Order: sequence, then structure tokens, then C-alpha cells
Amino acid sequence: MVLTCAVVRGTNAQRIDASRHSRRSLLRTGGLLALGAAAAPLTACDPLGREEAGPRPPDPLRPLLDESLALAAAYRDAATAHADLAALLGPIAEAHQAHAAELARVLGVGLPSAGVTPSSTAATDPDAAIADLRQRERVGRDGALTACAAAPAARAALVGSIAAARATHLEALK
Amino acid sequence: MSQHSAPPTPAEALAAALSAEYAAIFAYGPIGVRLSGSARTAARQAEAAHRRRRDALVVQLSTAGATVPPDQAGYTLPFPITDRASALRLAIEVEERTAAHWRAALAATSGSDRDQALDALVDYAVQATRWRRTAKITPLTVPFPGRPT
Repeated sequence: MVLTCAVVRGTNAQRIDASRHSRRSLLRTGGLLALGAAAAPLTACDPLGREEAGPRPPDPLRPLLDESLALAAAYRDAATAHADLAALLGPIAEAHQAHAAELARVLGVGLPSAGVTPSSTAATDPDAAIADLRQRERVGRDGALTACAAAPAARAALVGSIAAARATHLEALK
Repeated sequence: MSQHSAPPTPAEALAAALSAEYAAIFAYGPIGVRLSGSARTAARQAEAAHRRRRDALVVQLSTAGATVPPDQAGYTLPFPITDRASALRLAIEVEERTAAHWRAALAATSGSDRDQALDALVDYAVQATRWRRTAKITPLTVPFPGRPT
């Protein structure tokens, strides 16, 4: 940023010098004007990536998408490990996967193919597995509630439905 | 889907939610008659939640100087309530429909109004899941509560 400023200011200063108006006050004023002028080229510089134009902040829906995929995988794992829970957990896994698909559509990104998590993380005890899912679901619900409160109008209904769905999953696991 | 009408204002969205609350309270009348024991108690509690939101909305809209839609003398039920099973099915539908109205209010609102709409959407979605459990209807959940199907 400093480098760019110096170049721009130098150019303006040279032009002022070239006009040969040697009164210091005028020069000082010219210098201030040049500083002001430097602000505009600066912003034009950022898209070139030469300055501190770091990576753009991630879309706020992205964490929600990642969480939906992780939840879907966790439910699938638990349903595989505990066949008698499959009827309860299967539809919830599908719901999380549907959320991920819808979020990916809104974000304009592709979904990673499902089932790329071969290591089962499900607890061997069914009660512990449910408790673990409930904890994950609680965190996910709270995150979606926060995201909905801050979401732009066009996204509020989708994020609200996802928050509500996660709350119903908690209820279903009672 | 080719609607190009202007999005509702916050007051219009809340007024629509209020109309849904009126209808929900009406529906819980015949629902409660067909239930007994803990299911009837649950119906009273669910109805009380709709009454609380109705009362709050009436005050809120009046205070804001917005139009308060009137309650109707009666509402057409989507199917006849003849027994416990149909009463529970209607209870599920009532919760889903009111949830849908509050969901629609999310886009039209911000700040505390949106919090209010979100709270109602979540509350009614969870209540619909409770009714499905009571009715032994599976799955207990839907993927996108409140979303028009």
C-alpha cells in the first residue's frame, strides 16, 4: 500500500514542481491534494492482488453446508452401526443431505460425493450414539438459528427451515 | 411460480401469521374433543402457544398502527374430524401450516421481528414432530419444516 501511495504522490509532486510555483504553502496544499488523489488509485490496486487484498471471507452459508454434510455422515455411520436405529436415523440423514444439496445450490458449488468417510465414528453403545448425535444436532441447531438471524432476506427462509429441522431432529431423538 | 408481486411488508407478513394463528386456535377446538388423557393435555398446551402468539401479534400490530386482520366466525377444516386418528392428523397439519406462515415472515422481517418468526417456526415444527410421535406416524420429521410442498 505504501509503495503505491509513494508512486502516485511522487507523480503529483513532480507535476507541482514542474509548474514552478515555489510558494511553500501552495506546495503543501498540492501535497495534501495529491494525498487525497492517491486514495482513488489505491482501491483500484487491490483487485490486482498486489496489496493486502487477502482471500475473500467465506460465505456464511458455507459452514452450514459443511455441518450438514458432517451430520449426514454421522447419522449414516450410526445407522450402519445400529441396525435397529436405522428406521429412525435414516430419514434424518437424508434430511441433512437434502439441506446440503440445497445450500450447495444456493452457493453455486458442487457437493462432494457422499460416503467418502469410511472410518465409522459411531459409538458402539446405541444410547451413547444417540447422545452423541443429539449433542451434534444441538450445536448445529444453534448455529443455524444464529445464521438465520443474520441472513439476507432471500436466504432467511431456507436457513430458518434448516434450524427448525435440526430442532425437530433433537425432538425425534428423545 | 411466476408471481411477480411485491414482497410483503413486515406488517403484512405478521398479519398473515396472525390469521394463521386464528385458524389454528379454531382447529384445536374439534381436535381436543377427539382426544383424551395426555394427548388432550398436549392439545391444550399447543393451543395455548397459538393463543399467546395471537395475543402478542394483536398488540404488536395495533401498537404499530398496522391493520389487524379480524378473526373469522369459523374456518373450513381440510377434512372431517371423526376420531382420534383424524384429530391427530389435523393437529399435525395445523402446526405445519402455521409454521409455513411464520417461515414466510422470515424474509419480510429483520431484528426482533425475525427472531419472533424464527421462534414460532421452530416451536411449531417441533410440535408437529411431537404429534407425529403421538400418532405413530413415521418419519417423525420433514426435511424442510414450513416449506410449501
